[in-house]
Amino acid sequence: MFASLVHVIESVARRTPGAAALSWHRAVWTYEGLSRAIDCVAGALLGQALPSDSRVALLIRNSPQYAAAYYGAMAAGQTAVPLNVQERANVLKRQIEHSGAKLLLADPAHPEFAVLVASLADANVTVLTVNMSDGADACNVFCASLPPGAGAAARAELSPDQLACILYTSGTTGRPKGVMLSHGNLLANARTIAAYLDIRPDDKVLCPLPFHFSYGASVLNSNLSAGAQVLLEDNSAFPQVLARRMQDEGVTAFPGVPATFALLLGRCKLRDFDLSRLRYLTQAGGSMPRAQIELLRATVPHAKVFIMYGQTEATARLTYLAPELLEKKLGSVGLPLSGVEIEIRDADGGCVPVGEIGEICARGPNVMLGYWQDAELTAQTLRGGWLHTGDLAHSDAEGYLYIDGRVADMIKVGAFRVSPQEVEEVLAALPSVEEVAVTAIPDEMLGQAIKAVIVLRPQMQLDAMAVKAHCRQHLATYKIPKLVEFAAVLPRTSSGKVQRYKLA
Amino acid sequence: MSDALRDQIRDFILENYLFTTDTSLLGLDDSLLGRGMVDSTGMLEIIFFIEEQLGVKVKDEEMIPDNLDGVNKIANFVLSKRQAA
Repeated sequence: MFASLVHVIESVARRTPGAAALSWHRAVWTYEGLSRAIDCVAGALLGQALPSDSRVALLIRNSPQYAAAYYGAMAAGQTAVPLNVQERANVLKRQIEHSGAKLLLADPAHPEFAVLVASLADANVTVLTVNMSDGADACNVFCASLPPGAGAAARAELSPDQLACILYTSGTTGRPKGVMLSHGNLLANARTIAAYLDIRPDDKVLCPLPFHFSYGASVLNSNLSAGAQVLLEDNSAFPQVLARRMQDEGVTAFPGVPATFALLLGRCKLRDFDLSRLRYLTQAGGSMPRAQIELLRATVPHAKVFIMYGQTEATARLTYLAPELLEKKLGSVGLPLSGVEIEIRDADGGCVPVGEIGEICARGPNVMLGYWQDAELTAQTLRGGWLHTGDLAHSDAEGYLYIDGRVADMIKVGAFRVSPQEVEEVLAALPSVEEVAVTAIPDEMLGQAIKAVIVLRPQMQLDAMAVKAHCRQHLATYKIPKLVEFAAVLPRTSSGKVQRYKLA
Repeated sequence: MSDALRDQIRDFILENYLFTTDTSLLGLDDSLLGRGMVDSTGMLEIIFFIEEQLGVKVKDEEMIPDNLDGVNKIANFVLSKRQAA
């Protein structure tokens, strides 16, 4: 029984040392190389004489070096704190200080590096820069650039209950939310995901998702623990580049968020590429309109489409919909993962009847230890061993979950509560709509009214009157948006979620 | 190359992504994505700007880094499209 992902990766490296683990630009790191680099990072960290439960902040973009640093910190018995490389120095500094990290492993070419290091001058934080070579010899160059150290001695000390990493979530308030995940959390979720996706050693997953984001981290953890190859893509801004790489490298798996799939389906002729090796697609990170799911399915009919739901507080994943049920249960995020229990509860904590909306509460080996340095928020979120997700859902008679929004997202129009997702689903069914988001705006008469912001597909036209006429056909009168606006793009967080508050 | 076109592109990026008019902060050959100035959403906004403000349609297959990831690249792309029109 392995105690950590580090042990699992080490085991894969012993079994298949020459197999490709990570590909980035011209660099291909084998499992042997990755395992050696993890040792080198662990040794370098141990050489810094930090306490064994120290936090180590990582400011490294998606790269093999990131993986070596992330698992290397864990191998040293320390806690990895991956930082969002898209953040500015002031936010990064706040998170480093909040985490109490005394060591920062950083890419010196990061745009905020100089400002951040200057701002940390009085904070007693040691900065170690990492070599970000992407050439054929990158792994050896990376290892040679690190301070020499004691090697893998700390691994045997790791236990499943031990803190492995802290992930700062994309909460929009000023209060940092550091989700504490244990080695046991990471292992449990990685194994379950690898099992239901049937990840195999000959799989090649193309990952444009950032690793500081729980979805990206889960792709890394589950694929490396299964001995598959992770191909890294710096961003998803250019759908042609993604599609070409899928074709040219025989990619078998692709994970995306709704915006990724909107780009791939809306600005790229996927049918022009040979994606015959593509075995499955996964979608998480927010609700994807049913029309888009159907379009995805029709565009790559041979690939299984997994619709998934989860949150960082549950390591990543809580439910998934089996691909063979996509049509039958369209709109559902499926059933709980093996080992995970889910209840939908009302405000008083009781389970709601089938079909009624309540809050998703979850229990299982992937549920976080709590929020770092925030006992109050932890106590609000983890009650009686159950994670209160803040997400609203209902289930059908067979237990399949349907997400209805966030607790805070519900729009109250007069006495009625309206789920923004319900309105978005209807609007997304219009053929000319590429993306849509719905939010609340103040209304003198009703308290709140509904506003829809629509991104049209290229060269398509639509006016507000037609949108409202469509809604009238499909929605109760009070659910029809009072205001319809058109925009070039939707405002999103760095992790891709729509920022509804910016739409009002 | 048209300096006016290059300036218009640079000013748009400075104003919308760096929130400044200080031209020294954006090199003409800087990678917009590599420097973290724009993400995939920002790139769609730039395409919208090219189409609406510069009057050049960006075809799906033209959405590649060589055409869009930098001031000079965008200017060269727009010029070549205009010349081909």
